Amino acid sequence: MFKHFHLTKRQWQGILKWSLYGLLTLLTLLFQTVVLSHATGLRIKPTPLPVLIVCICVREGPERGGIYAISSALLWCFAGAEFGNLSVAVLPIGAMLSAILCRAVLTLRFVPTALCAFAVTLVNASLIFLFKLILPPTVAPENYWNILLPGVALSLVFLPVQYPLVKHISRIGVRNEL
Amino acid sequence: MRKHFSAKTKGLMVLAVFLAGLVTVTAVISTRHPGRNLVQTALTPFRSACSTLVRNTERLYNYIFKYESLEAENAALKKRIFDMEKDVRSADSLQRENERLHQLLGLLDEHEDYQTVSAYIISWVDSSWKSAFTIAQGANSGIDTGMVAITEYGQVVGLVTEIGSNWATITTVLDSALGISATVASTGYNGVVEGALATGSQGLLRMNYLPTDSVLRNNDQVLTTGSTVYPRGLILGYITDADFDQTGVAKYALLKPAADLDDLEQVFIITEFENQ
Repeated sequence: MFKHFHLTKRQWQGILKWSLYGLLTLLTLLFQTVVLSHATGLRIKPTPLPVLIVCICVREGPERGGIYAISSALLWCFAGAEFGNLSVAVLPIGAMLSAILCRAVLTLRFVPTALCAFAVTLVNASLIFLFKLILPPTVAPENYWNILLPGVALSLVFLPVQYPLVKHISRIGVRNEL
Repeated sequence: MRKHFSAKTKGLMVLAVFLAGLVTVTAVISTRHPGRNLVQTALTPFRSACSTLVRNTERLYNYIFKYESLEAENAALKKRIFDMEKDVRSADSLQRENERLHQLLGLLDEHEDYQTVSAYIISWVDSSWKSAFTIAQGANSGIDTGMVAITEYGQVVGLVTEIGSNWATITTVLDSALGISATVASTGYNGVVEGALATGSQGLLRMNYLPTDSVLRNNDQVLTTGSTVYPRGLILGYITDADFDQTGVAKYALLKPAADLDDLEQVFIITEFENQ
């Protein structure tokens, strides 16, 4: 019976790789919502999840990375992200564009990834801020400078941890593909 | 660059936009989004485990580095301050205030009409523009949307705004989305309390529509007026500042929330109460 479910080594490695990405995403989401969102003192809430989404998409390319980005953005949206529906469109498109940009013009190294992650997180956060400012205003314009920008910058603090992990996971099964 | 823009990539971008639209439409049509309910229900055990781990780590840290005695002393002092405030209020010279304050104070001990469900906080909303958290109790425990969350001292924490089988989202008083009818305890002035983020005062509450001639003192206590949603006499906060609003015909007061939301671990949801 089980011979029909035989998987090749490459397929196993693929499953392992995407399971590890999934685990990393889940841990980041938990860290973001359980620990960081309730950090006392600072009123700014960093969001390392969009940074991770961009990081993985850049490593995996716009196609496979794009599917991952859509899934993760949906997960974040359903997990309670504010204006999560907006992020479902903005994050995957931003992440895919980053992957294309890094492959065509830049490199897959840390600095270009960090720049792309910063840009995508900033665009996503800015659009949400714009909606909060236009729809019955629940934020003050000065909050852009004293809350949003520091929040986006703080979100990148975790990239030095995320990037090497993603880099190592992305190498799983690479030899078989060559 | 063009070779990287494959048909599949373009298709995925269109799919992302389509899904965003679909999620938006579904959220508008249905108050209980099926996808959201599924993900939140699945995440609740992980969040509970994670928040328990964080709580215990925090306690261990405090035990090692800050000593448990300090924590106990802090809790005792908080209780003592609360009791002293209660005494001060009781000693108020006006009989009308006295009678009302006697009715309003004491809360859970005196208000036997409150039915509460206790719940631990398992996660917070990760947006800087919203103040809300998730608890590990939901419809299965008798909680429903529109119920009020308080602390053990009867301080208002927020309102249940979303519900699932084993989870519920509570929007806190700091969020601009809530508007609560309130009264200044010592003078009886009425107004509406909401989060002050929109006016640039993060972490504070704002009491609007106060009479122009109202006299407001610092540390005056502000309580809920009472409605079908909020029981009467729950503590909202303490006045820290007051001024005229933009129109110049009404006053507003800034309040420090009574509930310490930064250190909040557990809340009590009032599932039933008799409106006085």
